[in-house]
Amino acid sequence: MNIPAIGIGLTCAIILLMRDWRFTVPALLINYLCLGWMLTQQQFIAPDLSFGGAQVSTTVVVKLITGLAAALILAITAITFSREYNTEDLDEFSLAELRRAARRAQRTIEPFRMSDYVVPFWSLVLAAAAALLLPRLYPVAQPYAVDFAWYWLALTGLFTLVTANDVLKVGLGLLLCVESVDLVYTAVAGRVQVFPLALLSLLTLVLALAVAYISGLLYGRLKTLDLAELYRR
Amino acid sequence: MAYLLLILFPVAMAACTFLLRTQTRFVLLAATATALAELALLTAVPVDGPARLLGLTLVLDPLSRLFLAAFFVIAAVAFAAALKLPHGENFVPIGLLLLTFTAATLLLLQEPFVVALLLISAAVLAVLAVIDLPTGSPLLVGRSTLAAALKYLVLMVVSGVVLYLAFVLVSIYEDTGTAQAFSATRLILALIAVGFGLRLAMVPFHSWLPDLAEHAAPMVTMLIITVINITSLLVLVSTLQYFGPIILFDNDLAIATMQALGVATALLGAVLALGQDNLRRALGYLVVYDAGMVLYGLTTLTSVGLAGALFEAFNQIAVVMLLFLSLSLLEQPDGRPSNVPRRDLLRRWPVAGVGFLVGGLALLGLPPFNGFASKLLIYQAAAQSGGPALVLLLLSTVVALLALGRVAYERLLGPSEDAASDQSPLLLGETDLDRLAPRALTPEPRGLAVIVCALIALCLVVGLYPQPVLATINDVIQGLTFIRA
Repeated sequence: MNIPAIGIGLTCAIILLMRDWRFTVPALLINYLCLGWMLTQQQFIAPDLSFGGAQVSTTVVVKLITGLAAALILAITAITFSREYNTEDLDEFSLAELRRAARRAQRTIEPFRMSDYVVPFWSLVLAAAAALLLPRLYPVAQPYAVDFAWYWLALTGLFTLVTANDVLKVGLGLLLCVESVDLVYTAVAGRVQVFPLALLSLLTLVLALAVAYISGLLYGRLKTLDLAELYRR
Repeated sequence: MAYLLLILFPVAMAACTFLLRTQTRFVLLAATATALAELALLTAVPVDGPARLLGLTLVLDPLSRLFLAAFFVIAAVAFAAALKLPHGENFVPIGLLLLTFTAATLLLLQEPFVVALLLISAAVLAVLAVIDLPTGSPLLVGRSTLAAALKYLVLMVVSGVVLYLAFVLVSIYEDTGTAQAFSATRLILALIAVGFGLRLAMVPFHSWLPDLAEHAAPMVTMLIITVINITSLLVLVSTLQYFGPIILFDNDLAIATMQALGVATALLGAVLALGQDNLRRALGYLVVYDAGMVLYGLTTLTSVGLAGALFEAFNQIAVVMLLFLSLSLLEQPDGRPSNVPRRDLLRRWPVAGVGFLVGGLALLGLPPFNGFASKLLIYQAAAQSGGPALVLLLLSTVVALLALGRVAYERLLGPSEDAASDQSPLLLGETDLDRLAPRALTPEPRGLAVIVCALIALCLVVGLYPQPVLATINDVIQGLTFIRA
C-alpha cells in the first residue's frame, strides 16, 4: 500500500468535490506534501542533502517549498476575501456599483444543496476509473503509483477546471494540472535539469499569484468570487 | 555572452521600469530604447552558432532571427505609440518581460520542455497586462475584461500542459523507438494539435481571441497576437522539424484533419466576422480567419505552403500592428458618449481610417499589399493538394472581404455627422440637451499618424517587393526535413 499515492488521491478528490476553500486549500497543501513524500520513495530521485540525519533530494525540497508557497498564496487570498479593495481611490459611480454588487452577492449566498455536488461526484468517479485504468493501458512513467498519481492529478485538475464554481477553484485546478506535468517530467527525465525545475517552480508561483490577483480584482468588482456572477449578462 | 544579454537585458530593464512605472513618459522612452538596443544586439548573435548554458542548448536559426528582429521593431513601435495611447500601469515591464520570454523561447527551440514552460509563462504574464489599469485610474477592471483574462489564462495553461505532455511522450517514444501498447504517434500528434490549436486560436478553441480583442487594451491584444501567437507558430515549425519523423510518419489522416481544421478556422472566422456589429470583435474574427489560413499553409507540408504560411505570419506582425494602432486612434474620445455609434470615422480620423482599411485589405491578401504574395502561395499549395480546399479558402476570403466591407460601410464611410447636426432645427419638445454633444474636433496625434503612415508604406513596399523576406524564408525552408514536396 502506497500511502503517499493514497494521500494524493484523497486530497485531489477533496479539491474536486468540495466548494469551501477551508477544505480545498489545505488539501492542496497536503497534496504537495504527499507528492514530496512519494518522490523521496522513488529510485529516480537520488538524495543529495542531509537534514538532521535524514537524506533528501534537492529536487524534493524545491518542490515542497514551491507547493507550500503556492498553497500559502491561495490561503492568504481566500482569507482576505472579506477585505475592502481600494475603495478609497474609486469615484462615486464605481462605489455605487460596488454597493450594488455587494447587495447582489449577499442575495446569492445559497444554502447547502446536494445537487451542486452531483456533477463533481460523477466527474470524480470518471477520473478514478480512468486514472486506475490508464496506467495499465498506457504506462508512461514507472512505477505504477507514479503513473497513477500523474494521471490522477491531470484528470482531477481538468475536471476541477470544468466544474469550478469560483476563481479560486479554477486556480486549484490549474495548479493540479501543472503539478501533474511536474511529476511526469521528474519521473520521465533521465536527469532532472536545473532550468526546467526552476521554471516549473516559478510557473507554479506565478500562476498562484496571477489567480490571487484576478481573485482580488474580481472580489473588488463583484464582492464575490463566484463565476456565475462574472458571466451574468 | 550575447545570448545571455539578449535574454537578460530586457529583464533588468523590466525591473527598472517597474520601479519607475509612474514616470510614464520616461519609462516608455526607456522601453523603446531597450527594444531598439535588443535589435542591435541581435545582429551580434551568431546565426546557427550553438552555445551551452546550464545544460541547455541555445541556438539562433535564421528564421528565429528574422522574426525576433520583427518582434523587437514592433515592440519599439508599440512602446512609442503608448506615449499617446491609454495603457496599463504595468504595460512596459510586462511588455519587456514578454520580449525576454520570446527571445528565450526562440533561442531554446531545441529544448521542448523548457519551451512549453516558457510559452505558459508568457501567457500568464500577458494575462496581467490584460487586466492592468492606467496609473491612478479611478475605475474598476471591467467584468468582461476579467472574464476574457480568466478564459485566456485557463486555456493557455491547459495548452501548455497538453504540449508538455506531448513532448514527454515524444521523448519516451524516441528512447524506446517503438510504440508500447498503442499508437503513440497519433496521440502525440493529437496533443500537439490541441495544444497549438488553443494557442493559435484555431476552431473550436478560437473564442479567447475575439474576447481579448474586444475587452483588452488594443496594444496588449496586438502584443499577444503578434509576439506570443507567432512565437507559438515558430515553436510548432520547430516541433515538426525535430519530431516530424516520429509524429508525421504514417499519419496522413491526422494531417488531413489538421488541414481541414485550418480551412474550417478560416471559413468560420470570416463568417463570424461578417455577423459582428462590434468593430473590435469583427477584427478579432478576421485575425482568426488569417490564423486558419496560416495553419492550412503549414499543414500542407509543402515548401510552397510553408513559405506562404511563414510569410503570412511575418506579414501579420505589421498588419495586426497597423490594424490595432488604427483602431486605437479611431476609438479616441471625441466628445460623444462611447455607446453612440460613429459612422464617419474615415472623415473624422482620415489617417487612422485609411490605416484600418489598408490593414484589413492586407490581412485578407488583396493586392498590392503585403498579404497578397503570402496568400497567393497558400492558394497555390491548396491548388496542388486538391480543388475543395482552394474553393473553401477563396470562399472564406470573399466572406472576410464582405465582413470588412460591412465594417467599412457601417463605421467608416458614412457621411460627416458634424455638419448635419449643426443645421437641423430643434423639433417640438426637444431641447439642446437632447442632442448629441458637439464633437471635440482635435486633429489626429501627429506622431501616431506618422507611425500609421510608415506601417501603410511598409505593407505596400513588402507587397510590391516581397523577394528579400521571401528569400530568407525560402532559404530556411530548404533545411526543413518534414517538407514533403
